[in-house]
Amino acid sequence: MFRTISRFRRVAGTTAVLAALALTASACAGQDSASASSSSAEIHIGAWLPLTGSTATYGVAEKVGADAYFKMLNAQGGINGRKVEWTVKDNAADPQQTVQIARELVGQDKVVAIVNANGTAQAEAAFPFVLNQSKVPVLNEVGGTENWYKPPRAGLFGTQTLYEDQAAAVAAWAVQDGAKKILVVHSDPAAFVNVAEQVAPVAKKADPSVEVDRLPVKYQTTDYTPVISKVKAAKPQAVILILTSPEAAAFLKEAKLQGLSLPTYAYAPVAAESTIALAKDAAEGLKAVQLVKAPSDDDPAVKEFRTAMAKYEPGQTAGFLALWGWSNAKVFAEIAKTVKGPVTAQSLTAAYQKASKVDTGVSPVMSFSASSHLGTRSVQKVVVKNGVWTSVGDFYTPPARG
Amino acid sequence: MSQFLLVLVSGVASGAVYGLMGLGLVIIYRATDVVNFAMASLATLGLYVAVSLHDRGVATVFGLLAAVAVTVAAGLLVRETVIRPLGQGQLFSALVVTMGVSLIAENLAGSVWGEQPRDFPSLVDGTVRWSGAALPVQSLVTIGVAALAMALVGYLFARTTLGSAMRAVAESPATARVVGLGAQRLARISWALGLGLAALAGCLYAPRSGLATTALTAPLFRAFAGIFLGGLTSMYGAVVGGLAIGVLDNLAANYVSASFRDTFVFSFTVLVLLIRPQGLFGTRTFQRV
Repeated sequence: MFRTISRFRRVAGTTAVLAALALTASACAGQDSASASSSSAEIHIGAWLPLTGSTATYGVAEKVGADAYFKMLNAQGGINGRKVEWTVKDNAADPQQTVQIARELVGQDKVVAIVNANGTAQAEAAFPFVLNQSKVPVLNEVGGTENWYKPPRAGLFGTQTLYEDQAAAVAAWAVQDGAKKILVVHSDPAAFVNVAEQVAPVAKKADPSVEVDRLPVKYQTTDYTPVISKVKAAKPQAVILILTSPEAAAFLKEAKLQGLSLPTYAYAPVAAESTIALAKDAAEGLKAVQLVKAPSDDDPAVKEFRTAMAKYEPGQTAGFLALWGWSNAKVFAEIAKTVKGPVTAQSLTAAYQKASKVDTGVSPVMSFSASSHLGTRSVQKVVVKNGVWTSVGDFYTPPARG
Repeated sequence: MSQFLLVLVSGVASGAVYGLMGLGLVIIYRATDVVNFAMASLATLGLYVAVSLHDRGVATVFGLLAAVAVTVAAGLLVRETVIRPLGQGQLFSALVVTMGVSLIAENLAGSVWGEQPRDFPSLVDGTVRWSGAALPVQSLVTIGVAALAMALVGYLFARTTLGSAMRAVAESPATARVVGLGAQRLARISWALGLGLAALAGCLYAPRSGLATTALTAPLFRAFAGIFLGGLTSMYGAVVGGLAIGVLDNLAANYVSASFRDTFVFSFTVLVLLIRPQGLFGTRTFQRV
């Protein structure tokens, strides 16, 4: 009995000492990373991306787009003579794995910022360590919600127009096109519901006589026969899709089969190459908003992207998602160029707070400040013409919500 | 009326797919005591091969045959290498192993063919008008092909020596061995048959959903609901259960809520199981304690 208690005390004592050591080491790691700076020869940044798993489509494409930009930039001499080293680790879209990766990137690799990573829940899992403890900024993350930026969080800066503003943009677009009765077809998880709810206020603000209804659909539905029947019964003049790309494709295919022909609008996740690949000619005429210009545009900045993709990432698709990665990498580089002296977590944060009129040519012009950490609210209108997403006009800022 | 017909035909087509998958699950379960969670992922490998052949100009029907062949080969490889060594009656070990195999197969498909969803070719395009409804020909073909496959399976088990032997092994492997039936050979045939049906179901389902690494996960779960509804050990139950799930799912989406279709279907399944735990066609088993 006494031997057991004595052994228990010994184990407890050892555990306490180890825990104290671990806490001290962790605190030291936090201090180190906050003051870490890149060497004079290179700027070391990192990202977590889903390179495997269900959302790997996003991660892989974002990676090749940003990689193409950084390779081109380094070949041209880098940022103020310093090469960019972008370390990407696969988090398989798993929040727990993201925390581990964040510790590796900050603690071992000594990155000065997380740039062009992906995932809302994944980033939120890593924020306590990266933003709060290590004071390493998270820049240009793909994903995010309104509460990331209202109020602004220290070290967190975004380049992606919020889904809520995307919904506002398509609502205003549908009303401008003359729709008086709009049906919003959306998936049923809360993230989709929240976006779909933004349509009615903006549409009614544009034209108080407009009627807006919502039709929630089970997430990942593939059989849209009953849904199209319900849409027909509702007799709308326009439909807005807040669905994933495969769901939207299933909707469009079934609508075509049942002879339903209505002006159809969608937010950015639907404006993807996969929607056209899956829906084929049923996608013709689909209108959507995007974060960037269409990759097929003749614009010189988009041509530069296509050329770099062909040179540095041959065989990879130069599509929307790759252009997101390219755009985020370019925003980072443009702002990092303004840093005088060592590039550190603090100097990058300060540079972002002062950055205004950052123009990548492929995405809306971005401006940040101490009170505004989201660079833009604008979107690009795109339409499927002859089986290709095509830009319509210039970047567009939707009316204010609420 | 035309909308009801449309929703009904679509539900029967979906249910036929769930029924085929459920039939495959039951055949494998009865022969080898394995609940095969890897069935959908292995069939997905076959579908990717079919798409690759289609992209190279091979006729769709040959692509579908290749999908069945590849799925059967992959299934037999899995059985011989990781399931058979577990031995007979290792229900939970085999369950975990098939889950692992499923993840490996999904990752393999993603690595080889990419994660981007892809279009899967239909056997036929177009619609036929009936009572004012434009019925997709693909849905009618799905129903016809599934019905033919189910009839052939029924004939195999009811009217052939091989089918009788497979039923005997399912009832009592030890007794079957005593009378000279090769249990391992019959188990291999059961796996081949089950996976072949899953691949066929996948080929009929994917033109609607598109092809992604997890494209067949949703129908697999509905097939499971179907076999629990119909009775885990009953082949008729698997078919009827699958059809019931497909039709109820669509009717619920149309007349109740497109958002609560699953809730409605699974509530119905739970209700049936509360009243009849062995399912609609299953046989109640008793164990001495």
